[in-house]
Amino acid sequence: MAKVFIFDADKCNGCYNCQIVCKDEHVGNEWEGYAKPQPDTGQFWLRVTEKVRGSVPKVKVSYNVILCQHCDNAPCQVAAQGAVRKREDGLVLIDPNKAKGRRELVESCPYGTIFYNDELDMPQKCTGCAHLLDDGWLVPRCVDACANEALLFGEEAEFAELIARAEPLIEDRPQDKPRVYYLNKPKRFIAGLVVDLHADEVLIGATLTLENIASGEVLTTSTDELGDFWFKQISKGNYRLYIEADGYLTRAIEVDTTEKDVNTGPIDLYPAP
Amino acid sequence: MSKTKGKTIVKGLGFCAAAIGANVCSVDVDTEKDKILRIRPFQFDEAYERSAMNPWQIEARGRVFEPGFKSLAVPLSLSYKKRVYSENRIPFPLKRIDWDPKGERNPQSRGRSKYVRISWDEATQIIAEEIKRVHDTYGPLSILVQGDGHGETKFVHGTHGCQTRLLGKLGEYTLQARQPDSWEGWYWGAKHIWGMDPLGQQNLQNNIIEDISKNGDAVLFWGADPETTPWGWGGQMASRICFWFTELGIKQIHISPDVNYTNAVHADTWIPVLPNTDAAFQLAIAYTWLTEESYDKEYLASHSVGFENFAYYVLGGEDGIPKSPKWAEKKCGVPSYTIKAFARYWAKHVVSIAHCNGGSFIRSAFAHEPARLEVALLGMQALGKPGANQFKFIEWALFGLPSVTPLPLSSEIPNCSPAFRGREASVKPSIIPKTMIPEAIMNPPVYWYGHIAAGLPREDQFVGPLKFPLEGKERIHMIWSDAPCWATCWNGGYKIQDAIRDPSIEFVLVQHPWMENDCLFADIILPINTKFEEEDIGTDSDNGQFNVVYYEQRAIQPLGESKSDLEAVEEVARKLEQFGGIYAGAHYRMMDEGKTAEDFMRLGFENTGAAKKMDFEEFKVKQYYPFPTREDWAELPAGLIQFYEDPEAYPLTTPSGKLEYYSTALADIFPDDVIRGPIPRWIEEGDGHQERITSERAREFPFLIVSNHPRWRVHANHDDVTWLREIPTCKVKGPDGYAYEPLWVNPVDAGKLGLKSGDVAKIYNERGGVLGGVIVSERIMPGAVYQDHGARVDPIVIGPGGLDRGGANNLIAPYPTTSKNAHGEVTSGYLVNIEKVDVFSLAEIYPDAFGRKYNQDSGVVVSEFLVEGV
Repeated sequence: MAKVFIFDADKCNGCYNCQIVCKDEHVGNEWEGYAKPQPDTGQFWLRVTEKVRGSVPKVKVSYNVILCQHCDNAPCQVAAQGAVRKREDGLVLIDPNKAKGRRELVESCPYGTIFYNDELDMPQKCTGCAHLLDDGWLVPRCVDACANEALLFGEEAEFAELIARAEPLIEDRPQDKPRVYYLNKPKRFIAGLVVDLHADEVLIGATLTLENIASGEVLTTSTDELGDFWFKQISKGNYRLYIEADGYLTRAIEVDTTEKDVNTGPIDLYPAP
Repeated sequence: MSKTKGKTIVKGLGFCAAAIGANVCSVDVDTEKDKILRIRPFQFDEAYERSAMNPWQIEARGRVFEPGFKSLAVPLSLSYKKRVYSENRIPFPLKRIDWDPKGERNPQSRGRSKYVRISWDEATQIIAEEIKRVHDTYGPLSILVQGDGHGETKFVHGTHGCQTRLLGKLGEYTLQARQPDSWEGWYWGAKHIWGMDPLGQQNLQNNIIEDISKNGDAVLFWGADPETTPWGWGGQMASRICFWFTELGIKQIHISPDVNYTNAVHADTWIPVLPNTDAAFQLAIAYTWLTEESYDKEYLASHSVGFENFAYYVLGGEDGIPKSPKWAEKKCGVPSYTIKAFARYWAKHVVSIAHCNGGSFIRSAFAHEPARLEVALLGMQALGKPGANQFKFIEWALFGLPSVTPLPLSSEIPNCSPAFRGREASVKPSIIPKTMIPEAIMNPPVYWYGHIAAGLPREDQFVGPLKFPLEGKERIHMIWSDAPCWATCWNGGYKIQDAIRDPSIEFVLVQHPWMENDCLFADIILPINTKFEEEDIGTDSDNGQFNVVYYEQRAIQPLGESKSDLEAVEEVARKLEQFGGIYAGAHYRMMDEGKTAEDFMRLGFENTGAAKKMDFEEFKVKQYYPFPTREDWAELPAGLIQFYEDPEAYPLTTPSGKLEYYSTALADIFPDDVIRGPIPRWIEEGDGHQERITSERAREFPFLIVSNHPRWRVHANHDDVTWLREIPTCKVKGPDGYAYEPLWVNPVDAGKLGLKSGDVAKIYNERGGVLGGVIVSERIMPGAVYQDHGARVDPIVIGPGGLDRGGANNLIAPYPTTSKNAHGEVTSGYLVNIEKVDVFSLAEIYPDAFGRKYNQDSGVVVSEFLVEGV
């Protein structure tokens, strides 16, 4: 009976449909017993975030979807003293009739998904479109509008396989037991190009060995036909990168991904004497 | 009826306008409250069995790709409720306060004066009298119809060009020719190397997606942005194809100055190239292949003519300059080692090229050169061999052609044209190319070649010179526009602001739903409603899933005093009848002998295959009919495979039937044209353009601008949608709270210029300036700046040398066309400078402009333009 949301970052194209249809459903429409209208702008019961990663010409944009996590141990429910209820299907709802004036609910949510509607003087958030589910709809609006199945909604049991390799939105809050699962959450990348500048040629098939200085863990890859290399989905940290190619002197450079993804730029190798 | 759904109807929420419906959506309506509840994806199988629709399957590399049964809706459609209920809707007919048709007309104050409310009766009386006066005084050709461009697609209610249905019955009129604007470079260039009418892009695209899925190694996205451009009409199947290619391991290589929205998510490789320098890059690829002998000589011997002329030029025989990677590097910003590596990759692998429309690649000075160089390169690697074609992510049923979809073909492309009440014809005896309107108004006569209507055959480019005005006829004295987006969508925009204020223009009539852009320059404005307030018929053959014909019920009552485009023109027709003579029975005649909207809908329906399945009444109940995929779709030849295998039996439409690396037609007809010569070249400057980083002008204006089809608009549409404007790449909030059009600047350049994200900056050249909200971003290469086109005009200073707060950068685009004999728009890839501005100081200098009544969520509101208390 219990439902979950799954968001797969690798399938998201950043179209913002989910954010927009949430507004289409809840701005200017009141769903009696479920939710009063959402303000037109500035608040996002479902919010898409985006981050530009890397530097020219190794640039990616990562999108994320943030909505109420419909926690099984919802901090807002504890704070709300009866104004928040947990449904059998797992959805967490703020009761619009009981929550008036309960500004503290906004602060109670560690995920930042509760908003205070000043005009109505009440906290508001994602309802999972419970009014639609109760009327026979299979999925909420955000999931319905996703063109690439990046956002899914359904029975927990049916998604067991996906859930097994998913991560939570925030790592250090397992006690909340959130019901939104994240797949392929972006980590860090290191990318670059290996080149012999003197010969004015990229080096194809150069070997790159990436050593995590703290853990000693080693990854390897090689340059492609354009001389490019990518280490994707690596963890934050300090690395040493060894660049080797037949007939060239080996180089090593330090790479720090603690704060951001790194494009090393062209790495020039010198011919071995 | 479920209690949350209300009444469900169908609306096509594509924005092409030219009778090309698209983006089919379901709309739930609360009929009691007369209110739109929601807009959501459409379910193709709601009223029909899936098996009857013969859903296609593409199988490749052990995987399967399928269409799905729910439409792949886009945010522009799903947020459209906000456009319908926009604060910017024109509520009633308006007259410019200082325009007196019986006295002083004050043309000079257009763009500055406010408006007073008048009744429909008064407005249409004035319009009828003006039409008659212009007819009597100057003749009918002195009325210019601006009746094309993009916006809502309606059939019976005919957005764009409906006035021609009336004016065409009253003698004639002058038509602003519908430019091949989306295809400029291909149209003016590529046609001369491979034919490919109607538009110069590959016109045999059937089954290319399946072919690449099975045989391709890589797809090049040369400026293409399938995550943006198909949103206007097409939907998100393009996005799914990109994910599918990734799943199959097909390499996606993006070549452009910017990380567009597709590159951001799907690219395996990005090769940054400076705006409009692709030709140098392309020539260096050809040079590499020629010098390394890594091209298909055998193919060229049987499939091309004039290759030796091209090779001679590339190797430097003609001008002493070998077009080597080192030569190209300085022009295009791509390191020569990357050019060589890329050329070798291409020579070794099976590569196709994907496009949408627009962008610097195709809308810059001399855009015919990169367009035909691309074909030249495809030819050198055996164009048409399995997995190697050019294909498009958009316009999969363009002009009703069954050959332009790369996906499995439908059994029918439904054609409702008998219902269409928009523009009656694309060519008229008296025309003006859209790109030459300002000169044609201010300094007639003007001359050009070809009828400039998108879709005419290659040979039409040789017709001429044509002239406006026609011999012995008068110049333009009245403009009737339902496409008031000149300043946001066309070249040299500040010049149109002068032209439209020219004393020769006695009357400017605009009909439009929203108070935006050129509306501000009108004398009379008629309020038009959106399609939610109308009943209509429509088609969607661009979604890549199932072609469909649908009936559009009215969702809500018209807002304010608005009427449909058709109804507005009908009102004018009725008023004209009072004059008798040629005006007698005007309404009856414009409605094709007294037909009603219902009659036109029925005729549209009966023109489709759906009429063989059900009658019109049943169709209205079911609300749609989906056409099944063609049974034998898989047997259609993939792309240009037939030309590849037998060029004699399946020739191209060039004079020789082959790839013409040397165009004898261009050589014969324009022997003195050194810019668009018989072989494609790198053109440094000429025909009025000095837009290179090496140009003298670049000392003052050192950056090249990229201006793509906007991500969050269709050209000038949607700029007031509150839910879009709060997306971070849609608008940038300035220190004064105004939402500025984003301007991307690379951190390297931003550092030199002292710019940071959130600053307001001016981009400018000697033609004027526009403001933008800075986003310092790695999504644009150093030396280039990026700003979408189409932002809503918000004038600070009007006319050449002007300044615009909205960021409508077409205002500072060059006025000269692609080249002397190629009359396309040049609206990207030109030189600008950027500097930070202090909006508070500007507000002191221009208190009127900065004091406009403004809603940060939606922009300037309509009441700002009305005279208070009237």
